[in-house]
Amino acid sequence: MKQFKTIFRFELGNYFKNKVFVGTTIVLMILLAVIMFFPRISGLIKSGSEEKSQKELLLASEDPALTQTAQAAFEKAFPDYQITVTDADEADIRSKVDDGTADCGFLLQDAQNYTYFVKNLSMYDANIEIADRILGGIAEMKAMTENGLSPEQAGSILATDVSHTVETTGKDQSQNFFYTYIMIFALYMVILLYGQMVSTSVATEKSSRAMELLVTSADPVKMMFGKVLAACLAGLVQLLCIFGTAFLLFNITRNDWADNQIVTSIFDIPLHLLLYMLVFFILGFLIYAFLYGAVGSTVSKLEDINTAIMPITFLFIIAFIVVMTALGSGDVDTPPMMVCSFIPFTSPMAMFTRIAMSTVPSWQIGISIAILAVSVFGTGVLAARIYRVGVLLYGTAPKPGEVLRMIWRGQ
Amino acid sequence: MKLELKDLYKSFGEHQVLNGISLTAESGAAVGLLGRNGAGKTTTIRILMNVFPADSGEILLDGRPIDHKAVKIGYLPEERGLYPKKVIADQLLYFAELKGMRRADARASIDYWLERLGMSKYRNKRLDALSKGNQQKIQLVTALAHDPDILILDEPFSGLDPVNAELLKDVVRDQMKKGKIILFSSHQMNYIEEFCSEIAILNGGHIVLSGNLREIRRRMAGNELLVRSAMQKEILEFYGDRASLTEDAAIRITLNDAGDRRREMQLLTAKWDINEVRIFEPSLNDIFVQNTRDQI
Repeated sequence: MKQFKTIFRFELGNYFKNKVFVGTTIVLMILLAVIMFFPRISGLIKSGSEEKSQKELLLASEDPALTQTAQAAFEKAFPDYQITVTDADEADIRSKVDDGTADCGFLLQDAQNYTYFVKNLSMYDANIEIADRILGGIAEMKAMTENGLSPEQAGSILATDVSHTVETTGKDQSQNFFYTYIMIFALYMVILLYGQMVSTSVATEKSSRAMELLVTSADPVKMMFGKVLAACLAGLVQLLCIFGTAFLLFNITRNDWADNQIVTSIFDIPLHLLLYMLVFFILGFLIYAFLYGAVGSTVSKLEDINTAIMPITFLFIIAFIVVMTALGSGDVDTPPMMVCSFIPFTSPMAMFTRIAMSTVPSWQIGISIAILAVSVFGTGVLAARIYRVGVLLYGTAPKPGEVLRMIWRGQ
Repeated sequence: MKLELKDLYKSFGEHQVLNGISLTAESGAAVGLLGRNGAGKTTTIRILMNVFPADSGEILLDGRPIDHKAVKIGYLPEERGLYPKKVIADQLLYFAELKGMRRADARASIDYWLERLGMSKYRNKRLDALSKGNQQKIQLVTALAHDPDILILDEPFSGLDPVNAELLKDVVRDQMKKGKIILFSSHQMNYIEEFCSEIAILNGGHIVLSGNLREIRRRMAGNELLVRSAMQKEILEFYGDRASLTEDAAIRITLNDAGDRRREMQLLTAKWDINEVRIFEPSLNDIFVQNTRDQI
């Protein structure tokens, strides 16, 4: 036990004394501080200067009556834009939009046809839908007044308000999406980064031949566990520093973010989800770190490490893609996700996503965690055996089959 | 203390590495472990250090199976290596603690050895800032800091300049005086001859020759005499084909029969003015080459 403590302390010290590690953490914390204080800072700058940042929308039509109705409706529907009515022709509008004098332009041929001019069509550009609705409304209004209704009557028909309330019995995905996304991403980054650090650390000891002395001084199993657990703790501390800073600063600047739904939803993460996150983070981290450590022990040269860890990295990336696709589609209970949430190498991300975004029966969560925990233990034992054999092998890296055969023979 | 390796066998897969290695080492004496590359020296050392078990055979310390938790072993591996990017004092402390030392004791011992080897000023430097010879001295501290009962030195002199080699010789002599068991592996035969009263030569996982070095040399002496004399020319002429001049200007005379050695020596001293005449004993180098030329 004393030996394990010595190894654990030494390995942990390696992280906390590492200038890059400490530097990156601090830079990230500063970056977060800048982001969190951004609304306040930009608010200060804005209040000092004249407000002249409204975008310009050109509106042109050959029918003056249509122009007039449309202008009123456009002004209401595009509050972010300054609506400029123009009698410019098509080429004129095109050139104005192209050189940036105007941000976009609508040329109405008649009430049912128009051309939309925009320089770069953004993925999230909803202007067409809005314009469609406005013109549709104008057409309906016109049809109704032509058929004998007074404009007031037609207006009140069109302005019928439908009110609704939503009762969510499970999870509100629009609320949970962003923090789930961030958590999964953090999990992905941390496991990938630290996993590689673990295997590089093992391979460095081997290539610098410090291993010759280590294996004769300490039990390889303790070395492996000391290394992996130290990396896990270092990762947790780093995450805690970063998310802790963000959370703290959010509480200070909470008022500035009041009208930003995404940001407030991120920080409204319920406690039980944080606990699940912690469980899946630790177990997921360990299972991959053990694998990375074992693989690191089979290479003799540092330059071989990238090729050697590729299969594990691929496995992890595939899991990430499956989860991210499901998360993006909004349906996280698809058959692949169900399967993935029980496979130990994918369950940390898959099951966490399902818990956060959908309603998962507790027995499923229990089974998933149990399978994962048992697998972590099994992987740990296997990794320690591979490590024991691997650290003494120099020369060309052995094939996986060979390594298993050696372990089987107990060498 | 007496360390005995008895009939060690070890194979890796199909490859049989050790075929019944037996050797004995006692307190205060160094045993030279010799063998060509791949003869099984490192495997023997690793089994002794409990890195992996032997397939069969046993290791006894004072007649009882060795208890690796109780006995302290210091090891200077042939493949040198520590953490190049770490501060020297930190890593020395780490290795000493891994071997079970308390932190304060480890610190004191490391300070002593750094001082003794003239390395104190590098205490807080990174290892890769040191020259090769100095790195080797740091490595030596890892082998000695925990005051081991058994000291295994694999090619301890390679890469050391003559001054540092002297320093290391002093250290080794000290350890012998303190009654440590020392296993000494090297291809530099002069160092083995200087330190080791006992040798064991490995070839293909077998011990092909072992025992007291002086006795071995005496036993292997044949029908040759070594003569030094001012009357070199006359002696060479007298013996004709049977005499030759060695590199260090002595005359080597081959007799027809080893039994004639005493009579021939008397004859030589009677006939010429002789400075030195003795039975020619092969050097350790000759013995080594003779026993390991054909790799088994």
